[in-house]
Amino acid sequence: MAEEESQFEEFEQIDFLGDRHVRFFQRTLQVLPERYASLETTRLTIIFFALSGLDVLDALDVIDRNTMIEWIYSLQVLPTEDQANLSRCGFRGSSHIGIPYSTKGPGVLHPYDSGHVAMTYTGLCSLLILGDDLSRVNKQACLAGLRALQLEDGSFYAVPEGSENDIRFIYCAASICYILDDWSGMDIQKAIEYIRGSLSYDSGFGQGAGRESHGGWTYCAIASLCLMGRLEEALSQRELDRIRRWCIMRQQSGFHGRPNKPVDTCYSFWVGATLELLDVFQYTNFDKNRRFILSTQDRLVGGFAKWPDSHPDPLHAYLGLKVHPALNITQRAFQHVQQLQQTWRGSTGSCSRHLCTFAISK
Amino acid sequence: MHGRVKVKSTAQQEEEKRKEREKKLKVYLAARDACFSKRKEGIWDEGALQVTQQLLSSNPDFGTLWNYRRETLMHLETVRDEDEVQKIYEAELSFLESCLKVNPKSYGSWHHRGWVSNRLPRPDWARELGLCDRCLSLDDRNFHCWDYRRVVVKMSGVPVDQELAFTDRLIGSNFSNYSSWHYRSTLLPLLHPESPEEPAPPPRRASSSPPPSPQSRSHRVCEEQLLKEYELVQNAFFTDPNDQSAWFYYRWLLGRAEREEIISCMFVSREEERVSVAFSRAVNVSSAGLLLVLDGQPQRVEWRSVHPRFKHSPVWICDLAPGTISDVTNEHNLTVHWMEKHTHRDCALYTGRTESWCRDSATDQELFRSDLSVEKTSVLQSELQSCNQLRELEPLNKWCLLTIILLMRALDPLGYEKETLAHFQTLEEVDSMRSAYYGDLCSKFMIENTILKMEYAEVRVFSISDKSLTTLCHLDQLLLVTHINLSSNQLHRLPPQFAMLQCLEVLEANNNSIENLEGVYHLPKLEEVLLKNNKISTLADLEPLASCPKLKRLDLRGNPVTQVANVEAELTALLPSVVDLLL
Repeated sequence: MAEEESQFEEFEQIDFLGDRHVRFFQRTLQVLPERYASLETTRLTIIFFALSGLDVLDALDVIDRNTMIEWIYSLQVLPTEDQANLSRCGFRGSSHIGIPYSTKGPGVLHPYDSGHVAMTYTGLCSLLILGDDLSRVNKQACLAGLRALQLEDGSFYAVPEGSENDIRFIYCAASICYILDDWSGMDIQKAIEYIRGSLSYDSGFGQGAGRESHGGWTYCAIASLCLMGRLEEALSQRELDRIRRWCIMRQQSGFHGRPNKPVDTCYSFWVGATLELLDVFQYTNFDKNRRFILSTQDRLVGGFAKWPDSHPDPLHAYLGLKVHPALNITQRAFQHVQQLQQTWRGSTGSCSRHLCTFAISK
Repeated sequence: MHGRVKVKSTAQQEEEKRKEREKKLKVYLAARDACFSKRKEGIWDEGALQVTQQLLSSNPDFGTLWNYRRETLMHLETVRDEDEVQKIYEAELSFLESCLKVNPKSYGSWHHRGWVSNRLPRPDWARELGLCDRCLSLDDRNFHCWDYRRVVVKMSGVPVDQELAFTDRLIGSNFSNYSSWHYRSTLLPLLHPESPEEPAPPPRRASSSPPPSPQSRSHRVCEEQLLKEYELVQNAFFTDPNDQSAWFYYRWLLGRAEREEIISCMFVSREEERVSVAFSRAVNVSSAGLLLVLDGQPQRVEWRSVHPRFKHSPVWICDLAPGTISDVTNEHNLTVHWMEKHTHRDCALYTGRTESWCRDSATDQELFRSDLSVEKTSVLQSELQSCNQLRELEPLNKWCLLTIILLMRALDPLGYEKETLAHFQTLEEVDSMRSAYYGDLCSKFMIENTILKMEYAEVRVFSISDKSLTTLCHLDQLLLVTHINLSSNQLHRLPPQFAMLQCLEVLEANNNSIENLEGVYHLPKLEEVLLKNNKISTLADLEPLASCPKLKRLDLRGNPVTQVANVEAELTALLPSVVDLLL
């Protein structure tokens, strides 16, 4: 009898608590605890994690899609009457600057209002997830805003008034161009040069030239090249093999982001997705990875944490689930964007890369 | 939002916390509104700095406020004298220090500090380096701090050898310092370049190949310094063999530049009137610029890759106009030019010969030296000796085993074949999480050895059976192979790259787990396909074979597809050229 009980306990230990995660994401969309205050300016990314998380869990019907879509469109920085602010267009992170709520143009000029490249990326993804057809996105304005962010060395600022610049924002830019099906938003060649320049001696990618290799930046590099369709042009077979090797060595149980650092749930996505894009995810040990991720699951409030016995948060909760490796959205949302692109192009052509997913749950 | 450990609290503590939060919120909103109304009125004074300071102290990632602060500071530069500006910026640096104490990983704070350091009339670089030292002593993996340190070094002109000495100290006190090893890898080539007299690389044109990576020539280190580094890194991995830092660094030291890009093989066949060209890397023919010249005349031809899936391929084919070279009494001279790389290959098709080729062997190209330097065998041997010494102490250390395999392949791939296989066995047990990776890596090395044996024997038969092969690679080296034997392995498929075997006549792959034949595609000379005891299950799986016009003999015994209804009739219809069908 005791043995049966402990077996049942063991089973409970490793099962995936889908319902709790749904509730975790629902709460994320309502109120966040105080320690998230500093994320107010990037609120749209948190929304994205929650929405995409609900999408993966097939639970989008717990929210009011239309209200959500309206709110996201209210974050669009639209051109003013005279179009003088085109280079500042895109999506903002939240209403923290105090722009009056509006979902249609023309835009209002404010000295500090501008799009933020990561918000434009997560904003577009969020709309796709909610099934929106992007018809209210001012594509030309978004692309103009994007062009204004690229530097001579190929990297991007996050905002037009300047910020740090590195490979993260190249990924955001590539995703935006991919979704809008329009690569006039960036100089691809320069971006590729920056990416190549970020390859480190150990064949991981740093945030920029001379910087330390890291799982997150390696993801940004490889995913960007895949979205651009230039992976094999930009990197030789030998380089790709070495990059694979660096990534494979990141698995300890789950994955860590850099050598001699502890494993962290989010790297199961950053490194796992990179391995998937490089066609070698099958080299990883699926069970160990799954077991680690489930060990960071919060059985009470739902969500996943960075480590076991830590607080769960939306980023790790989301990245502990399965998604399309290059665009970081579900298969369903990815197919939606492909269908939209077909309508825009009026053809039956498709520009898909890998459509594989890798199962963590289910 | 990273990493806070849970702590339980009582209901009373919760209530106290709530009240405090409300108070904070009121203060926050008041400050924020004051900030923006000031900004709106175009006020850039110390008061503005005060107000933004309050907010940034609690939220250093409020990017807009840093921008407002920068505007304010720039304005103050124009209305105050140099001493006052110096004081203002020094106060800024103190403020930033307190921000960094709260969150040492804030992008906003580090970025702003970099901006301030750049504008300070009289910068104190020693202070900046001191800040970095303190920050790194708390967390030596904080890449924000490392990145800032690199910026400071650049701006202040700290000499490279001083920075190298800095890494010496860090590594000396703690070998397990990946960030220090990384920094060292960027400094070393600057201080001790491989060839100081080397001319600067030519300016890159738009369509040319990708810019050099850290592994390429301009980033390599001169031999003398290399030997010193070997000693340093050996100390590290002898002290702690389980730390990857030293092993990755070691691998980089042993590594060498990418090899020259060439046309490795050109093959001409009179019967198909076809030219096949193999490159040392995958190319896209439209950007590569391929020109075929026949008997002095440029030919207008359409190049295609071996399989429609590939826009980039190491092997390209073109068909000549009928009658161009079919007459066996004529001699022809062909040249293929790779315009982008200014290189070419010639091939003479003699009278009475139905085919001809010209290639650099794998040995010539030093293809399989596994990335290691071939300059000093004695150095590699001494390194191998050291690693073997360590292996006696630590027989299950995977890094040691991997490095030994690497060194053995560089020194004598065929001579060390047995040991290599044994080490892979151990590796798969010791690091079972990556056993699939090691299985494929071992397959790759076995294929390399088979290619070498084939070349020494000067035959066009490639035979590698019963070697637990899990994957195929280097198929671009098999362009000239006429017979291939892959029987009794663990292959699941013949991938599209298999179509590079343009000369293949006989394919033997019995006793595998093959379920996919995509790569058996448009192989013009293929006559015999033996696939007994595999996993081919549907007729659709066999469709690629229909593209091989000379296929006469097909053995499908022991495959699930033989149980499909009406299979014989279906196959006769699908593959009319096959006269000998074994089911």
